[in-house]
Amino acid sequence: MASEINTLPAEVSKALRFPIDAASVVRQRKSLVQELLKQPNLAPTRVAILGGSTTAEVKNMLELFLLMHGVQPSFYESGYNRFAEDVLFENRDLWNFKPDIVFIHTNWRNVSQFPELMEAEADVEGRVRREMERFESLWKKIHADLGAVVIQNNFDLPDLRPLGNLEASQTFGRVNFLLRLNAEFASYARNHSRFLINDIHYLSAQVGLGEWFAHSYWYNFHMALSPTATVALARNVAGIVKSIYGKSKKCLILDLDNTLWGGIIGDDGVQNLILGRDHPVGESFLDFQRYVKDLQRRGVLLAVCSKNDAETAKEGFSHPDSILKVEDFSVFKANWNPKPGNIREIAAELNIGLDSMVFVDDNPAERALVADQLPEVAVPEVGSDVSRFAEILERERYFELDRLVSDDLNRSAYYTANAQRDSSQAGFQDYGEFLASLEMTAEIAPFSPVYLERITQLINKTNQFNLTTRRYTIAEVEAFARNAEYVTLYGRLADKFGDNGLVSVLVGRTHDTTVELDLWLMSCRVLNREMELAMFDALVEQCQFRGVRKIVGVYVPSKKNGMVARHYENLGFTRVDVTSEGHEVWHYQVPADYSPRTRFIRRTAIEPKVA
Amino acid sequence: MHQERKPMSRQEFLLQMDEILGLNPGTLRGDEKLENLKNWDSTALISLLVVAEANNNVPIAPDQVVGCSTVADLLRLAQVQD
Repeated sequence: MASEINTLPAEVSKALRFPIDAASVVRQRKSLVQELLKQPNLAPTRVAILGGSTTAEVKNMLELFLLMHGVQPSFYESGYNRFAEDVLFENRDLWNFKPDIVFIHTNWRNVSQFPELMEAEADVEGRVRREMERFESLWKKIHADLGAVVIQNNFDLPDLRPLGNLEASQTFGRVNFLLRLNAEFASYARNHSRFLINDIHYLSAQVGLGEWFAHSYWYNFHMALSPTATVALARNVAGIVKSIYGKSKKCLILDLDNTLWGGIIGDDGVQNLILGRDHPVGESFLDFQRYVKDLQRRGVLLAVCSKNDAETAKEGFSHPDSILKVEDFSVFKANWNPKPGNIREIAAELNIGLDSMVFVDDNPAERALVADQLPEVAVPEVGSDVSRFAEILERERYFELDRLVSDDLNRSAYYTANAQRDSSQAGFQDYGEFLASLEMTAEIAPFSPVYLERITQLINKTNQFNLTTRRYTIAEVEAFARNAEYVTLYGRLADKFGDNGLVSVLVGRTHDTTVELDLWLMSCRVLNREMELAMFDALVEQCQFRGVRKIVGVYVPSKKNGMVARHYENLGFTRVDVTSEGHEVWHYQVPADYSPRTRFIRRTAIEPKVA
Repeated sequence: MHQERKPMSRQEFLLQMDEILGLNPGTLRGDEKLENLKNWDSTALISLLVVAEANNNVPIAPDQVVGCSTVADLLRLAQVQD
């Protein structure tokens, strides 16, 4: 996908960075869109907006923020308040549009009927059920017929409360009713894939109901949100779409002094650091550490980049109030070297791109240096007030998730285990002996429903070991799995240090006695383990089973996948063509007497584990 | 919450309208008929309302804009300073 916000022209970057001046964005929208359209490698996406109110401003702002994330949208808009009719009556234009994403922009005004005053609880429950049936019928039809991802607004709260505070506690109160519906929507989201909530209940609280809704815009244009609230909504939806396409950041790099604690560890010593509930600034640092720890628990990698002696720096984490510990960090760079170089090393050690990283430092000079020398790294202007650091990270939505899979929760552990592997390798003269010592086992099998989310995540996030860099939604991945013409393989790899999780994906389409590989990718955390050989062995088995005699591999060069330029050559393929776009076509004739290439990986039985 | 601001000048307003309409800066002179302006539509109208309120703290009701036929009418509505 296209460039990150730091690599955009300065005025564009400034306009779109938190805190956003919504009025300025409204005014400059056309020129910002023109600049953003100049980015290379924009990913086209079809977005249908089904509105319960006027959607023109929603579309305009969504275009802007999607472009900011490297997504170039084309839009379908429903007629005014025809979000249900367009789906239920299969509007031909919508059906022909074939959206990748359907955004249902409804709000509290689109509830069909609120409870009557003093209505019995059983009757109110009936209303909840009917409202849910109404919305569920849309979601199911969209999934079944269009196969699109649904992003659905939950409900904001009305600006008026005839019952006052009783609205929240009485079952016939509108606030109570809306909160129940939000809980039902959330339950649906938990239990269904390709369905995501756009949390306008939270957003409207964040913006403030007084700013969220504006009477003049409602009565004159039937806009459910004020124009400035529409900016916040569009930014939020674009963040969700970004996460679907795997563009969320993976690693948070942190300075230490006056970033994770108050004071200078080298000068003040651990006993004099400002950290803890006894001091207002100390409490701010504590809360920031807690926020960072919460990010780490859900899969964000942490790294330290600090100008300090390493051992002195680590002492700071022995402070009795420190929530973060040294072992929470996957990489710890504390030295006197310039930070850009350290950050490059962190990226190399973690095998992730610079564009996957966010750097937080209280020192504006350090921030400016990193932003200048490493424009791919996100460097939020956090200032020096630690009480705002978490808010700024939040509002930039760097780490937005569309789904939490178990591989996310274990991410730090994977990198720790990798460090153990690397350390173990130092004891071996022969690399083959090292690989044998790992006692690796692999589970390689056709796609299983239990792994589809992780498979889709890997397809959309992997850049380096990726032969074609094609991206697919979970609906498309499901379609591959169901289609007998496709060979699909996932690969999990474990060794004596731990389970690496699902790390490789391969998809090929068969035609007569040929299979053409559409996708072959692998997580960089298992590079140089010969996992690709194990996948190839499994692919050849599938070919032999299906009577396929030729494998066609395609290499589509990108800025990031140079490491696989010789992948097919190394496997014994012959290059037969290079297209006008520079795509290389390679052929492999499957021999009758194929000998497995895998030397150090034992394939386990093809029975997928429950995640 | 609105803070006290220096009212927008005529030139500032015209430049912001240029921006809203996607015109080169300095295109609008202030005497144009709205119906002749490229990109003058409901989106531009909404943007103008937002800008007027944000910059001049002058809330303009949409139906007041409907009664305008020239850029000069808008300038008067937004109470810009000459």
